[in-house]
Amino acid sequence: MDRREFLMSAGGGLGGIALASLLQNDRLLAAPQTNTHTLHHPPRAKRVIQLYMSGAASQCDTFDYKPELIKENGNPWDPGEQVQLFQSSPGKTMQAPWKWQQYGESGKWMNECVAPLGDCVDDMAFIHNMVSKSNVHGPATFMQATGFVLPGFPGMGAWISYGLGSLTDNLPTFVVLPDPRGFAPNGAANWSAGFLPANNQGTMIRPNSQTPISNLFPASNNFITRQSDRDVLAALKQLNQRHEQERAGDSRLNARIQSYELAAKMQLQAPQVLDLSNETKSTLKMYGLNSTDYEVQEGISEAAEIAYFGRNCLVARRMLEQGVRFVQIWSGADNGFPRRNWDSHEDIKRDHWPLGRGMSIGAAALIKDLKQRGMLDDTIILWTTEFGRMPCSQGSKGRDHNPFVFTNWLAGGGIKGGTTYGESDQWSFKPADPANPTMCYDVHATILHQLGIDHEKLTFRHNGIDRRLTDVHGHVIKDIIS
Amino acid sequence: MFFFSQRKFKFTPLYFSMCLLIISSAAFGADSVFEKQVAPILQKHCIECHNASTKDGGLSLENNQGLIAGGENGRVLVAGAPEESMLLDYVIGPEPEMPKKGAPLSKAEIETLRQWIKDGAVWPAGVQIQEAQLSQTDWWSFQPLKQPAVPQFSADETKQIRTPIDAFLLAQLKKKGLSFSPAADRRTLIRRLYFDLIGLPPTPAEITKFVNDPDPRAYEKLVDQLLASPRYGERWARHWLDVVHYADTHGYDKDKLRENAWPYRDYVIRALNEDKPYTEFLQEQIAGDILQPHSPDGVPATGFIVAGPFDWVGQIEINERLIEKKITRNLDRDDMVMTVMNSTVSLTVQCARCHNHKFDPIAQEDYYGLQAVFAGIDRADREYDPNPQSADRRKQLLAAQTNHQQQKQALEAKIRARGGKQLAQLDEQISKALKAKKGQGEEYGYHSLIEETDKDPKWVQLNFKQPITADRITLIAAYDDFNNIKAGFGFPKRFKLEISDTNDFAATKTIIADHTQADFPNPQTRLVNFDLKGQSFQFLRMTATQLAPRSNDFMFALGEIKVLDSQGGNLAGQATVTSLDSIEGPPRWSRLNINDDKFYHSADSNEDLITLKSERDQLFTNLITADEKNSLKTITAELSRIKQELGQLPELQKVFAAATHFKQQGNFKPTAGEPRAVYLLSRGSEKAPVKEIEPSAPKLISGLSGTFQLKEPANEGTRRLALAQWITNHDNPLTWRSIVNRVWQYHFGKAFVDTPNDFGKMGALPTHPELLDYLAARFRDEGQSLKALHRLLVLSTAYQQTSITHPEGNQIDGDNRLLWRMNRRKLEAEAIRDSVLQVSGKLDLKMYGPGDRLFVLEKPQHSPHYLYQKYDPDSAERHRRSIYRFIVRSVPDPFMESLDCADPSQMTPKRLETLTALQALSLLNDHFMVSMSAFYAQKIKAETDDLPTQIKLAFEFTLGRPPELAELDLLQTIGTQHGIENVCRLIFNSNEFIFID
Repeated sequence: MDRREFLMSAGGGLGGIALASLLQNDRLLAAPQTNTHTLHHPPRAKRVIQLYMSGAASQCDTFDYKPELIKENGNPWDPGEQVQLFQSSPGKTMQAPWKWQQYGESGKWMNECVAPLGDCVDDMAFIHNMVSKSNVHGPATFMQATGFVLPGFPGMGAWISYGLGSLTDNLPTFVVLPDPRGFAPNGAANWSAGFLPANNQGTMIRPNSQTPISNLFPASNNFITRQSDRDVLAALKQLNQRHEQERAGDSRLNARIQSYELAAKMQLQAPQVLDLSNETKSTLKMYGLNSTDYEVQEGISEAAEIAYFGRNCLVARRMLEQGVRFVQIWSGADNGFPRRNWDSHEDIKRDHWPLGRGMSIGAAALIKDLKQRGMLDDTIILWTTEFGRMPCSQGSKGRDHNPFVFTNWLAGGGIKGGTTYGESDQWSFKPADPANPTMCYDVHATILHQLGIDHEKLTFRHNGIDRRLTDVHGHVIKDIIS
Repeated sequence: MFFFSQRKFKFTPLYFSMCLLIISSAAFGADSVFEKQVAPILQKHCIECHNASTKDGGLSLENNQGLIAGGENGRVLVAGAPEESMLLDYVIGPEPEMPKKGAPLSKAEIETLRQWIKDGAVWPAGVQIQEAQLSQTDWWSFQPLKQPAVPQFSADETKQIRTPIDAFLLAQLKKKGLSFSPAADRRTLIRRLYFDLIGLPPTPAEITKFVNDPDPRAYEKLVDQLLASPRYGERWARHWLDVVHYADTHGYDKDKLRENAWPYRDYVIRALNEDKPYTEFLQEQIAGDILQPHSPDGVPATGFIVAGPFDWVGQIEINERLIEKKITRNLDRDDMVMTVMNSTVSLTVQCARCHNHKFDPIAQEDYYGLQAVFAGIDRADREYDPNPQSADRRKQLLAAQTNHQQQKQALEAKIRARGGKQLAQLDEQISKALKAKKGQGEEYGYHSLIEETDKDPKWVQLNFKQPITADRITLIAAYDDFNNIKAGFGFPKRFKLEISDTNDFAATKTIIADHTQADFPNPQTRLVNFDLKGQSFQFLRMTATQLAPRSNDFMFALGEIKVLDSQGGNLAGQATVTSLDSIEGPPRWSRLNINDDKFYHSADSNEDLITLKSERDQLFTNLITADEKNSLKTITAELSRIKQELGQLPELQKVFAAATHFKQQGNFKPTAGEPRAVYLLSRGSEKAPVKEIEPSAPKLISGLSGTFQLKEPANEGTRRLALAQWITNHDNPLTWRSIVNRVWQYHFGKAFVDTPNDFGKMGALPTHPELLDYLAARFRDEGQSLKALHRLLVLSTAYQQTSITHPEGNQIDGDNRLLWRMNRRKLEAEAIRDSVLQVSGKLDLKMYGPGDRLFVLEKPQHSPHYLYQKYDPDSAERHRRSIYRFIVRSVPDPFMESLDCADPSQMTPKRLETLTALQALSLLNDHFMVSMSAFYAQKIKAETDDLPTQIKLAFEFTLGRPPELAELDLLQTIGTQHGIENVCRLIFNSNEFIFID
């Protein structure tokens, strides 16, 4: 390992920004520099929250209003071309099971299912012509998470951690809050560091579990106490320092000593971040939380969705306050039975209502809470899903996959609120302008841009290729940034 | 590795040859303005997006027709009028719209275009522009291996030279005014050698023996002893498995288990321990099934090609007519090509999937030629005979079996002919009944809550609105794949069946069946009938008094209850269903499923079939003569003898490998050895096939043809064999350099070429090209023995140096590229875990076999959940070496992952090393480490009661030396206050344990 690699991999302790500047100048002890000097351009945001709806959330039952579907509801659906669906053959045209209404000064139409977000539309920017390269959950989930349909690529959070480093020594840079029912398709590979140094991987935190962060504290045993832990760490440091003195010139030895000090700091900080007991009643209420505790159940219910998602959103805000750079919150687990994600092949009404309410209450609370704390200005929220759902029915109540169109929305961090960019066609079947769809590359490029990074310059050489989050694609969507 | 790369690779004309295809240029010479000046501009700036297949914006600039046709926004060019030509508008101005990617056109280029348009925009007929293709093969790695002379030194300096390696290294060091550092002491050397060669620490006894060995050849003996140890293969197999991205699950979405991947892992261990010549090692892995189909190694070796991920949904669920199917297959072959080519010849050919390789002379056509090599195989389980004798015998027996079956059929046909219409009718009815649907719909049945013991009685009952009269009750067991139970799932071991006129069964009840005193055999798919003899009742209850086992728990499940009246009509549907409890997980499990007339259908549950068969048997007996009866008897006896002998042959082995024949699964069908067509795909898109491609190897090494001379091109195996021969050809310099470079890296911590999977122009340059060639040529020409190579390397002066730095060396060569000292090794995840197991006295050295699951598996039916925190680290079956771990692709073992183990989603030619807080937390707190600290303490305590002695032992077992006084003091304080367990935990976390000098 040479110095360059070592600096890259030591992470945490030094902080990525400093690291980046060290590498750019190729001097070990460069003078400290401010962020803007090392970034590609002045940033508008420092942090990101990604809300990931696993299973493919329906755009035409939530954010993408189509009068045509209401008009043609129940009539045969004819988009003028042959449609090959994933599971079924196209059913009739189907409207959303609930009502639509306009919100905010922008007059954005939203469905009752996500009405709690109505208060926030003037802070949100919608993209309705998102397109996925795959209509299979696994690859498509990878695509929105890592920019590639194949396994083995770093998650967006890992890239941002690699590019910007940490804002704190006490907590991980990239935190993942999975759905308490389980992982989305691809599991932890969605937030892996891929070929980037391992310290950039997402650290999974399960707020309601007995061990929210694995190995933060010792596994059950009969010989470790708080006192023994302290004494062992102190003695370890002395032992390691003796060892290091006899082996001058190997900076890894000291970095490892430091890593134990960081670990001890994390042990102190992390439980505080997860402790919601000093949140006010009104804050808890805003997030839809009656109590800070809940039981995890198998299927979907409104109460459960509110409890899971609301709590994860609140924990995310607390993480950001303490310097976490990137939080990824998942709504929905794998494709098992009973349904526990947004993959409503059977019944939109049954599953999207509780999921939509839970998500929108939590997301709205998050936007408002960040705003009132002055943090929305430099925090980007991205709402995404692996692909959309068809405007026609599957069976009589469900919808099949639609890789050709789905919705993303963003808020905060210099995103222009109250905007809609990229329309879908009259059915919400394909982009209105099929030649110019928006893809995850563009969204990723825009987010990196807001963070002060040129997406074409954030690269890592792996197996002969300079890899990027945006592969060889991506354009910053200027229309949605202020 | 670049960060915020500011350097962009510049395409310089030197690297390219223009590929202007001139089909007809009678009217204009090849030196026309267009060809000389304009075409190069279009090729450089436009053609990547505006070619006939991509047609971005609807525009192709590949030929004159495309230019004239224009794009979505209409005409792009008006001949003679530059100001009216949009083509020009796009590329001029301070922020030109085009090109979207890359630098704007230069002023001179714009002027050339303007002039050309002004002059009438003449595009000679037949001239086509194609993407540039690299043709230059003048690159170090493509050159033949040199056999450089070993540098010579003065007599004095020769003392420092133990092997030719040292001469090459010293020559470089001397140029910089450096030399080798002094040799490390024996205590350091034995530790270095043990971890390097076998991945485990030496015991204090082994250290003492070596340190005190008076034999001047003591070190050499130690090297030979370690290379002969089976532990060597276990250590080095891990390096190769990193490179080939081996795992025991498929990866992707569902990440299902790959139960038979391990025989390939075992093959690699065996091959290394046997020291197979490298050519054999590679040829077997690429075409072992062709070379030695009936051997312990031939078929399993091909697990190499398929070691990467398998897209279960894409291959099995996706329908043949969807484009996704083709994409899946394309990506599947891409992974095979990448695995084989990156690992054996260090070429990143996969870069040419979408376009000609941008940096190396690999055309798209070369790449698809390689895809065609693998076009006849899939990733699947396949069976093989482990030796030719049993394969032969099996073949004979199967032939005899077929022969006798035919005889039997002929005889039966003769007899049947006599049976006339009646028999024919019966046969037809039977065959119809046999074809009746098997299996079940989504509604499985009723499922009780799950209990920890089988002693909790559970009941389910039918409640009719009014009393009914019935003749028979039929029970049908549930069917579920869970835990591989399938038929008879949840059918109680003991139960009773009662009827009553009150729904609480309190007052009056009649017992229909009582199986509460003895176990009832599980009916599997058979019907369980109870005669009711026309009794009347309103309520029917089945009570399980002893539950059925599931995995580690118990429950009661039932597929269906039928209540049949005297006409055979089923009355059950009229009843409502209640139960003591129920897991309501519709559609599969619900109490409402118990009388819905939906159940698992099979021949057993088909009552018509049962009656028909008995009628037919009767009729058949009456038609047969005594002679025929004898013949049939003989044939049947012979068939059963054959069956028996088949059963006695060594079992067919199973491995997940390159497969041409396997059982169809959903939409995943075998090729039967006939290769699928492979097309060159424009932009790598399945929607834009250009032409069919024949199998071939790259053509970048002079004197080594990439064209295959195949006798049977349609036989897929010949393609792989041809590639294997191309790779292992004496004159293929890449192969020999590649392996020597890898081995060097694992010994010295740094390779000559720092990008071991990429010897192309984007890869690193060799630090010691002559030494690399010397070693590669020697390896190739002197038996291709990896063990001999290891020996040569570790016997060198360079390897035996101390790892201590000195200021002079630091100043001149801080990264130690020249090896003026040995590099200190940070132990890999596997070496840490194995060493902890060994010193704690828990290491189980059992070799081979299915992987150890260091997790609890839940919900394997759909998307398996791998729960690492739930497994018991104390469990003795989980204490084998880490090479035998069951490796999950999607959810890596968090402990091993924090220690930088390889991610099997990608090929890992070189592991990244990190030092993070999470790594510290893992080593301090992971349940494995905590558990082993306790075991370690137990082992130490069994030796002595004296705390200072305990501490000395604990220290020496792990770190290979006795503690110094100050260290002993420090540890004694911990030991006294917190017990020896905490001392053990501390030692496991020390830098001295993790870093090997």
